[in-house]
Amino acid sequence: MNVDELVRDALREQAAELTAPGPGFADRVLAVRRRRRARGLVVGAAALAAVVAVAVGAVLPDTGKEDVRPASVLDGSGVLAHPDQSPPRELIAAGRSVLAAYYTAEPVARSADEAVLSRTYRLLDPETGMYEEDDRWSFVAVAPGARTAAVLERTLPARRIGVLDLATGRIDRWIGVDRAVGGLAWSPDGDRLVATTYGGHPDLLERMKSATGASGWGPPSRTGPTRSGFYVLDVADGRGDWSPVTAGQDIGGRQDFAFSRDGRLVYAQFIGGKDGLQRFHDLDGKTVPAPANEHFLRSDVPARLSPDGKLAALGLTAEAKDTSWSEIRDPSTGKEVARVRGAQLLAWADDRRLIAWERAPGPGEYRPRLVLVTIGSEKVVPLSGVREPDGVFETMEWEPVFVERRG
Amino acid sequence: MDAEAQESFREFVANRSSALLKTAVLLSGGDRHAGEDLLQTALIKAAGRWHRIDEPEAYVRRILYRQQISRWRLKRRGRELSVAEPPEPGTGGDSASADAELRLVMRGALARLTARQRTTLVLRYFEDLPEAEVARILGCSVGTVRSTTHRSLARLRALAPELRSLRASEAERRPSGDYPPVEVRS
Repeated sequence: MNVDELVRDALREQAAELTAPGPGFADRVLAVRRRRRARGLVVGAAALAAVVAVAVGAVLPDTGKEDVRPASVLDGSGVLAHPDQSPPRELIAAGRSVLAAYYTAEPVARSADEAVLSRTYRLLDPETGMYEEDDRWSFVAVAPGARTAAVLERTLPARRIGVLDLATGRIDRWIGVDRAVGGLAWSPDGDRLVATTYGGHPDLLERMKSATGASGWGPPSRTGPTRSGFYVLDVADGRGDWSPVTAGQDIGGRQDFAFSRDGRLVYAQFIGGKDGLQRFHDLDGKTVPAPANEHFLRSDVPARLSPDGKLAALGLTAEAKDTSWSEIRDPSTGKEVARVRGAQLLAWADDRRLIAWERAPGPGEYRPRLVLVTIGSEKVVPLSGVREPDGVFETMEWEPVFVERRG
Repeated sequence: MDAEAQESFREFVANRSSALLKTAVLLSGGDRHAGEDLLQTALIKAAGRWHRIDEPEAYVRRILYRQQISRWRLKRRGRELSVAEPPEPGTGGDSASADAELRLVMRGALARLTARQRTTLVLRYFEDLPEAEVARILGCSVGTVRSTTHRSLARLRALAPELRSLRASEAERRPSGDYPPVEVRS
């Protein structure tokens, strides 16, 4: 007999001896669940009261947290691909980057002439490795490590920021703010948030009518941008300062701030003579020059600098049938050092490999899928299924949110 | 959870809890109490998302496998599950009773593996899942499943001298370092 045969026999014999759970097992489970939920609700109510009492920085312990804090699906550095899934149902990851969430968006009418582009998020459940819809939030920023997210509730802009435990689906604490927030981004170390403040809904749409009488939703023309500035908040204690940034006419409705690589500055896109322009501010809101290593980056290419900081991911630079290439530059000189497969570079898997949108082979329009590409190689490894265009101009098909995977 | 969902949940538990408990207890190293706890926690999580789950059994099983590993991670590495000591194997008797004794020895050894090692063996040898499926469930590469299986079988032999006379399985003969760390599943 082999050892594995004996393992099989021993397990089966042991299983055969087990009797079923007693009657009423389902009711026992439901009763425990009710007790845990009641405990969680008490915590939620206490958190809300604290937000009312304190302008900024309501921090509460979460006594209703689950006993179990799973971590296994976020460990490791292998490639987890599901080329048959679009949108993804199961964990996608490569190297240091994990698809922590994705969202779709569609216009939701507020009146005959006005709508908002409303997002629906699917968040990675670190216990099951599955993406689960969570329709409580209008905006989600996942922290490095993919175990925590900062969230905004359905009404934007919002007066409080939730710190969500992705394993339990519960809010650990709320951070109340005086000025309403429409967008969030984490610092690279996961300790701070930059929260962009807006005077109105950042995703507002207006009814547009064409000459033929057909109507649809488009960017607002009657109202200008309402972005007013940003908070930099310490997530541990909820404290932070707000800095004003005057909104010119060269920004769109949603133009969120994000941290620079070293976390000392913030930047946001602005609209100008070419795509992907970026403007940097110090943490008091004052406009400052771009840091030397981010000077040549583009705000519309999310991958930005490689983990070791030696390479910069830039934009689409060449296309042929079914094939695209993006630029890799030396961040210190701005010189192109390589061309890598991919139409949009989204995240670095390591210092040589990136996750990108790349067009799927076949005739017709651009049909992207997530792929893993390698500098110096034409090899393309599909990570997701093809994101088929839905043919509706105003909606957004699934948009990925990648963060750093930390074991 | 509305009344209809609760009814559907009760029906699922009534029909499937026996099979699910077997898996949960095996994952817990034969500890029935720990197995019931594990299953209860998995079912609570499933109940919270009942109306959004298409395949409840697959969902609950996935939580069982991963939760067991995670729960172990929270504990100190050295802490072992409490299980009854298997009886010492007898020196004589017929081959049927010798096999029965070996199975008991094996149970005791399985209980002393780490949760990750035991979960891998339960998935491979009790659920009879192929390596690629085990990798998918545990969120790791096929190479990791192979090397964990290899190490787990070797550890069983080390834990129980009685098992050393058994023939090496194919999984044991594979060197664990031969597999690439990156595995792409299509």
